[in-house]
Amino acid sequence: MNPVAPGHPQAGSDAHDRAIAALAAIAIGIQILEAAIPSPIPGIKPGLANIVTLITLLALGWRAAVAVTLLRVVGSSLLLGTLLSPAFWLSLAGAVASLALLAVLRPFAPRHVGPVGLGIAAAMAHVAGQFLLAWAVIIPHPNLPLVLPPLLLAALITGSLTGILTAQVLADPRIQRHVHTPQPSQ
Amino acid sequence: MNAGRLRWGDALIGSLAAGIVVAAFVLAYTPAGDARVLVISQAGVAPQHEPLDRARVLEVQGPAGITRIEIEPGRARCADSPGRQDICESSGWLQAHGDVAVSLPNRLTLQVLGTDPGFDSMHY
Amino acid sequence: MRRATTLTLLLLLATLLLAACGREEPDTEQLGFYAFGTLVDLSLYPAGQYDVEAIGTAVQEELEILHTSWHAWEPGSLGRTNELLALQGEFSAPPSVLPLIERGREMEALSEGLFNPALGRLVAAWGFHQDDPQGPPPDEATLAELLDAPPSMQDIERNGVRLRGNHPDLQLDFGGLAKGLAVERVLDLLAELGVEAAIFNAGGDLMTLGRPETRPWRVGIRHPHGGVLGSIELDAGEALFTSGDYERGYDWEGERIHHVIDPRTGRPSRGIDSATVLHHDPALADAAATTLMIAGPEAWPEYARKMGIDHALVVLEDRIEATPALADRVQPGRDREPFVVRELP
Repeated sequence: MNPVAPGHPQAGSDAHDRAIAALAAIAIGIQILEAAIPSPIPGIKPGLANIVTLITLLALGWRAAVAVTLLRVVGSSLLLGTLLSPAFWLSLAGAVASLALLAVLRPFAPRHVGPVGLGIAAAMAHVAGQFLLAWAVIIPHPNLPLVLPPLLLAALITGSLTGILTAQVLADPRIQRHVHTPQPSQ
Repeated sequence: MNAGRLRWGDALIGSLAAGIVVAAFVLAYTPAGDARVLVISQAGVAPQHEPLDRARVLEVQGPAGITRIEIEPGRARCADSPGRQDICESSGWLQAHGDVAVSLPNRLTLQVLGTDPGFDSMHY
Repeated sequence: MRRATTLTLLLLLATLLLAACGREEPDTEQLGFYAFGTLVDLSLYPAGQYDVEAIGTAVQEELEILHTSWHAWEPGSLGRTNELLALQGEFSAPPSVLPLIERGREMEALSEGLFNPALGRLVAAWGFHQDDPQGPPPDEATLAELLDAPPSMQDIERNGVRLRGNHPDLQLDFGGLAKGLAVERVLDLLAELGVEAAIFNAGGDLMTLGRPETRPWRVGIRHPHGGVLGSIELDAGEALFTSGDYERGYDWEGERIHHVIDPRTGRPSRGIDSATVLHHDPALADAAATTLMIAGPEAWPEYARKMGIDHALVVLEDRIEATPALADRVQPGRDREPFVVRELP
């Protein structure tokens, strides 16, 4: 019988909380770094912090992923000074939409769906959630739908990238010992 | 064991997402001429439906003379109609769902409809 | 559990596809004819339930009668009334004209004189008392004379059915009101004929009678500069009237002369290309649309409030302004800028 790894849900709740806090801190760091580097195309960001959400989802489960993601959204906006601004609400809407879709897909992972599929789904849901909020509340401009297709295309690309990067990170032996999800037998 | 290996679900999500992206581009950037059919209503006559599929010219006889209607794929216009003020002609190309042109002297309305359900009535 | 999720997703997808592809049969019947000097269009709901031809004939006959009675310059009841008013003696008014005079008086008071049906001579001076107006516009001397102590609806004395005109220049012209009243009459007639739900559209101005069981009426609003301005869903008993400078007019020495005359200047109104009003009273909607156009870009919300209009929009050269209530209800068309919302004072 394997010893229960630190950070595993069955470990002491302190260890679990510490793992979530650490992952959230990493995610906040990534998000702030991303905010500091100007994006080549306005409105489109790589969303590398989503790697942390995906890793948390696959390693610690959906609830942990929710905790890490919400901590990231609130924490990074506190540090960037955007708390409760439109940017914050857009970020939150995207996060909530991604988490909702990930909840649906979670039962299929990792047997049928891997990090790449989850990454794409999360990124697409993120854009969709942001768009719906913008459309419903912030600027219901009739031409707004014209910006949706490029954003979705960007989400497809960045989602695949974050998925591939997540797979790389998960394959790293230093991470592997924390991951106790059943792997398909080879 | 390889965490990076693609599962069938990844392929499914990837192709679904690609489908959504393509559909979004097609839906959002279809040129304004998404009109599919021209409805020609003349007072006292059942409305006539003309698909906007290929270029052609129609001539409709009315009480004041002939209204010449030009049809092109996805759009139509009143090219020439009796009446001094050219109200019918000045409506230009009808190409968005619901666009209308009216020729009062010939007691004629031209309306293009797209894929949405049509309007019950047109206010002008 | 997992199977159930998959099934739900598949069902959801199938429903979406079906909803996207399904196109229902039209549930209304359309009927178009020429009456009241304009194109008339009737949508009847539900389809297949009515003797459409009989309804069309009845409506056409009613409109024919109203048209001759209320015409501002052709011989008829209003024409005769105008002759007798000019004599300034007491006479028995034709009954069909009385409601016009009453509603006209009311509208003049509500609009504080901007809507003045007693100024028929001014309208005629601009050349609009003919089927194909072409000018010339009146000269300064004529205008000055017409604007010197002009007549108002108060110059008509009414005693039961007896009328007397008290102003030599008084001549009635109910453009901007007659169509509203005619629409009201036709809707009454349709209800009498057993029509459950219908839209009566007379030259673009329209009103709903009832509504289809399962959906609101969908009405497209044409932009005066071409294309569709937007669309609106109408409930039972709502009238939509527009007054615009493009409806009747002529070009004179490069200037557009249109039929909506501002009683303050004696000239065609300026600044507003068209004004649209939504109200349950078609006569009020008709008169208010004309009034807002005359009121101009600055004052229109003030006059909307005076006339008790919550739902109005005006098209200016570069933008569309709307009251908050109408901006909420109109879905702007493709590629249209959102409306500029003007609060009522």
